[in-house]
Amino acid sequence: MPTLVGIFDTPSGVAEAVRRLKGRGFGKLEVYAPAPFGEIEEAVDPRPSKVRIFTLVGGLTGLATGYALTIWMSLNWPIVIGGKPFASIPPYTVIAFELTILFGGIFTLLGLLAVGRLPTLKLDPSYSARFSAEEFGLAVEVSDRDVAEVEGLLRAHAAKEVTLVAE
Amino acid sequence: MTPPAESVAAMIRPTPLPPDSQTNRDIMDVFMERPGLGWLLLVGICLGALGAGASVWIYQIYKGLGIAGYSHPIFWGAYIVTFVFWVGIAHAGTLISAILYLFRAKWRNAINRSAEAMTIFAVFTAQLFLGIHIGRIWKAYFILPYPNQRALWVNFKSPLLWDTFAISTYTLISLIFLYVGLIPDLAIARDRTTGWRKALYGALSLGWQGTTRQWKAHTRTTLHLSGLATPLVLSVHSVVSWDFAMSIVPTWHSTIFAPYFVAGAIFSGFAMVLTVMIPVRRIFGLEHIITDYHFENMTRFLLLTANIVAYAYAIEFFVAWYSGVEPEKTSFYMRAFGPYWLSSWIMMTCNGIIPQLFWFKRLRTHIPTIFVISTLINVGMWFERYVIIIEGLSNEYDPAVWGRYTPNLYELTIVAGSFSFFSILFLIFLKLFPVIPISEVKELIIHDRAHAPGHGSHAEAH
Repeated sequence: MPTLVGIFDTPSGVAEAVRRLKGRGFGKLEVYAPAPFGEIEEAVDPRPSKVRIFTLVGGLTGLATGYALTIWMSLNWPIVIGGKPFASIPPYTVIAFELTILFGGIFTLLGLLAVGRLPTLKLDPSYSARFSAEEFGLAVEVSDRDVAEVEGLLRAHAAKEVTLVAE
Repeated sequence: MTPPAESVAAMIRPTPLPPDSQTNRDIMDVFMERPGLGWLLLVGICLGALGAGASVWIYQIYKGLGIAGYSHPIFWGAYIVTFVFWVGIAHAGTLISAILYLFRAKWRNAINRSAEAMTIFAVFTAQLFLGIHIGRIWKAYFILPYPNQRALWVNFKSPLLWDTFAISTYTLISLIFLYVGLIPDLAIARDRTTGWRKALYGALSLGWQGTTRQWKAHTRTTLHLSGLATPLVLSVHSVVSWDFAMSIVPTWHSTIFAPYFVAGAIFSGFAMVLTVMIPVRRIFGLEHIITDYHFENMTRFLLLTANIVAYAYAIEFFVAWYSGVEPEKTSFYMRAFGPYWLSSWIMMTCNGIIPQLFWFKRLRTHIPTIFVISTLINVGMWFERYVIIIEGLSNEYDPAVWGRYTPNLYELTIVAGSFSFFSILFLIFLKLFPVIPISEVKELIIHDRAHAPGHGSHAEAH
């Protein structure tokens, strides 16, 4: 199926076009942007990102690991230090705290990779270096007979250029 | 319905590319231009000093810690002083990236990348000193809880071990933070370079295309990392301060240490960012991106943290007197009037008194003044750690075991080498990666453009 790529100057123009296209049933679209813009995210997919689940799971894993590691190791070779119990929670909280952050951070990075579908070896055919300059791209997958309609829609929403990427 | 043939043909015909974004060009020039004579000269000088420091370290590994200036009862010397100094420097990056991000302080965009890079390099430098200080570097891994034949585990009740966990967590999280921020900028560089640079940026940018799904995940990731890094940055220097405060040495055993150290760390980190970025901005002509407004905001931070630090200095003396504890009183008397009086007064002047000049707007916006004051703050903060550590250890409870310490030439060479290590890493970073977050700056530019009155639909070629 051919892909039409409309090139825009403003995030609001892209967002408008996305809403309109989705309203017309053209759901297979992808927006390329040089920076994050809330209005585009709202238009493309208003659901919250799943990265937060990664952060939560990572943080809780770290917390559990921190206490488990310290308590188990202290009991595994019990030595009385400073007259404190083998498993003393206050000092171990420091370790558990640090590991919460560490695991939370690493899992968040993994979340970015998983949710953002990174890494990829090949860039999309509709991607262009212009989208890492200051322009926005809106790629819509359309069937042959809809090309004209979608092109019209894109231009009607301030797309300054429309290119066709055959695939 | 098929579209008219000429319409399709017009769409397939390649259109001339518009000129690249001005922001891209400005910032990429910094790292794409061939290194100039000044850069090479600086790297050369730093390599020389680093070589000297490394040779001394090798000699110290061979001879043992005896060549350092330690003498009873002072066995934490210039190495630990410099370790704490560099850990402190490392705090500005995460503060600017994480805390100011959470506060939506958009002005951080111009400086956060360089501050994050400095954070990483400062932590690396600090970690070198742990190796240097322990002497038997080949046993450094003993600090990690690893399964061993003796079935021994580390002592989790020791603040030194907390420090291991805090600093290694901080290193990794700062690296992740820096890298996540770099990904979109690396994609910008990938699209505009050839040869080995394209391969490098292509691999590191992981195939980033700026799709909505990616940006959304990216902003969430930045937010969550900020949320995690904010308590982390406060915890790291708190834990470093507990290395001292958990002991019973007079002047160390105090509950004020954690906030006092954290404020001092932010203070010194901001000062270092200013000391480094003022010349960088001048040399690379980035005045329109890092404006005086950014520097002025940073001087406000310096003023705030200087006052917290000065308050801590003062309250320590007051509490020593008010507590009536003889060793505390003596030790603090010795701080001001004892053998280390000069270091103490350098510390109080540079950190408490001189930054008060930033009350005046004229001085907050006068770049040479900012540079001089921020450099003096760096000096003062090194002396702060020197005073806390050396003066604390030299006047403990029993006057019969009081002692004196002066760093000797070996130690000072290694300290100088550490500054070169930090500088070399930063100089290489300058020539390899965007020192200003390009996409964050562009986000503001596009936003401003979209909301500017009388805006047309055409891209401005600047």
